[in-house]
Amino acid sequence: MENAQAYLFYVFAALAVICAIMVVANPFSRSPVTSAMFLVLTMGCLAGLFTLLHAFFLAAVQILVYAGAVMVLFLFVIMLLDLKEEQRRQVKSLSLVAGLVSVGAILAIFVRSLIATKPGEGALANVEGSTSKLGKLLFTQYLLPFEIVSVLLLVAMVGVVLLSKKDLK
Amino acid sequence: MEVLKLAAPETVLVVIALAVLAVDLLALRGQPVSMRFGIGAAVAGLGCAATMLMLLGRHAHANLFDGMLVVDPLTNVVKAAIVLLTLFTVLISTAGKFTEHVGEYLALILLATVGMMFLVSAEDLLMIFISLELLSLSLYVLTAFNKRNIKSAEAALKYFLFGGMAAAFTLFGLSLLYGMSGSTNLHRIAEGLAGKGMDPLLIVAVVTTLIGFGFKVAAVPFHLWAPDAYEGAPTPSAAFIATGSKVASFFILAKIMMIGFAGAEGSAAWRTFISGWMPAMALLAALSMVLGNLTAIAQTSLKRLLAYSAIAHGGYMLLAVMANNEAGMAGLLYYVITYGLATLGAFGVVQVVEDATGNDSIISFTGLSRRAPALSLCLLVFLLSLGGIPPLAGFFGKFFVFSAAVGADGNHLGLLWLVILAIAMSAVSFYYYLRVLKAAYVADGADVTQATNMMAVPVATLAALVLLAFLVVILGCAPALLMGLLQAGDQVGH
Amino acid sequence: MNVGLEHYLVVSAVLFALGLLGVVTRRNILVIYMSLELMLNAANLALVAFSRFNNNLDGQVMVFFIITVAAAEVAVGLALIVALYRRRQTTHVEDLNLLKH
Repeated sequence: MENAQAYLFYVFAALAVICAIMVVANPFSRSPVTSAMFLVLTMGCLAGLFTLLHAFFLAAVQILVYAGAVMVLFLFVIMLLDLKEEQRRQVKSLSLVAGLVSVGAILAIFVRSLIATKPGEGALANVEGSTSKLGKLLFTQYLLPFEIVSVLLLVAMVGVVLLSKKDLK
Repeated sequence: MEVLKLAAPETVLVVIALAVLAVDLLALRGQPVSMRFGIGAAVAGLGCAATMLMLLGRHAHANLFDGMLVVDPLTNVVKAAIVLLTLFTVLISTAGKFTEHVGEYLALILLATVGMMFLVSAEDLLMIFISLELLSLSLYVLTAFNKRNIKSAEAALKYFLFGGMAAAFTLFGLSLLYGMSGSTNLHRIAEGLAGKGMDPLLIVAVVTTLIGFGFKVAAVPFHLWAPDAYEGAPTPSAAFIATGSKVASFFILAKIMMIGFAGAEGSAAWRTFISGWMPAMALLAALSMVLGNLTAIAQTSLKRLLAYSAIAHGGYMLLAVMANNEAGMAGLLYYVITYGLATLGAFGVVQVVEDATGNDSIISFTGLSRRAPALSLCLLVFLLSLGGIPPLAGFFGKFFVFSAAVGADGNHLGLLWLVILAIAMSAVSFYYYLRVLKAAYVADGADVTQATNMMAVPVATLAALVLLAFLVVILGCAPALLMGLLQAGDQVGH
Repeated sequence: MNVGLEHYLVVSAVLFALGLLGVVTRRNILVIYMSLELMLNAANLALVAFSRFNNNLDGQVMVFFIITVAAAEVAVGLALIVALYRRRQTTHVEDLNLLKH
């Protein structure tokens, strides 16, 4: 059982990283639709990783909301904008190399500090993210953020309607 | 029900925001914009006044849900100051000619204020993040409000992309904090981190959190969004971003650094270097002070000048955070509140001049003293306060901040080098403030016709600006008024 | 081999770095925004991993709220992009140069 979970972890992790690379730098086509599709796949792999971490409700929410609603919205907008194929503008190789180097450096620093710190030492992992437990927490201890998020959604709605309306001059 | 009682001021503001939306939508369709603005501003203003009375009148002490909502006298005073700034923003916005969507504009300003108030009361990572996002989202939309000018949409998009990146960095930092300490409450995080010393992962957490908040307060090198956002946004929105959100952001930054990272200060004293958040913040403060002031000298557009001045003032305020004691906190709050009042006034004047002449360059201000004497007198008060001239409030703000920084760390004068740099840069800032005042008062305009026409100043705006100038003068002549409130709250709160 | 906290954090860091790379190098606004979402997802993964190994559910609740907030932000961001596209007919970031630096 342990081996199966470890094997699944490596599969999901590798898939997630590969799909993320394709989102950022796909060599096949410069269209944002390709990036969007790979982002959906990445989110699916992340949902798999959430399941391995016993966060079952969150895995479902990730697929339903993030991959299912947010990315669909992205694709709607990409389709509505009806973009022509992005002309291959010369990506200045200097900025590309600089970007790669700096991001690689940040990543290296982080991984080194991770290895040095060993945060997971001796940690017993036995929390289950079941829906009922999350629900209880949400409506007792996290009631205030819950209400504030409703105000936030109102702001988002007002903003979207306002920005998208065509003003009659 | 405990929640409702303690969060009553914020609830009132939300209800007022909804009321403004409803009134504008149901009763005022088809009326001229100025009337809609007037009625909407009246409702909003009454709501703000009621909220302020509620905040200043109550003496509750509570800590709800382990850090989600912290109510004590200090937060009450800070919230009251934020609501006051909002009230003045609403008054100034009534003269705006950039939109017909009055109800939505005022409602968004009020909802952003609600976000700020919850941010001030937060001591839990989740509340901090959500309030910050509520505030930021409202500000992005407020920046894009001027649909007739494409610069507004472009400024909002730049602000949005930078802000999204900063939110991702902040989130990563907060997740590391949670992971290392096992809790999302700031006090418990400090306890959890106490035994560990400066391990590398903590350094990463400090850096990413500073990146996220450094963006929010426009510290160099995360300031690139500020000049464009201030220039493109409608002037009342720019004023709002520059004042209210700075108060809330600096307060919560100080809280996170002083409470959450309590064991990880390190030291930025002269010739010593102990790694922690202090050296990083010292770097941000020094860069902001120097770059903000020097770049402001070259600006001809007043909105961009005010943006770079905001960056520079942010540097002084970071200095106050580094004092890391109660005097520093009181000094920081005094500085940011008086800075907010003066900057709000300056933006109000810019709006009037912009509406009258069509642009906000310094040349438009030529001969202002003859064309609108009351307005230019207010401008004089605001700019001199920003420069730090006694007996205006800005001088005492700088005094309190510098003395707190010098007296920090047990009087070892470690931060003296930063204070000297700050004083030098303040002197530099006089140059560009006086340049504007020179155009308004001394220069005789090359364009004679423009320089002699009396400028039409909307009554509500003028009244608000006079009141603001009056406040700045009063707070400067009697600094103990505000300082007393802040210090009394401080002793009980911490 | 036992899969521990560090493994999940490394994956999270790699995804974060890839997102950052996308934001910095790509020129199409929509792809930049998608890289931003990738960064947020990386932070989500870190939070869930920490939550499991810290034995409390705070991290998972936080991720729940982050997903909600991210959805609202995506709506506003896309509305902004659409509003700009209608005027400028371009989604190329270098064409946004009306505000002088």
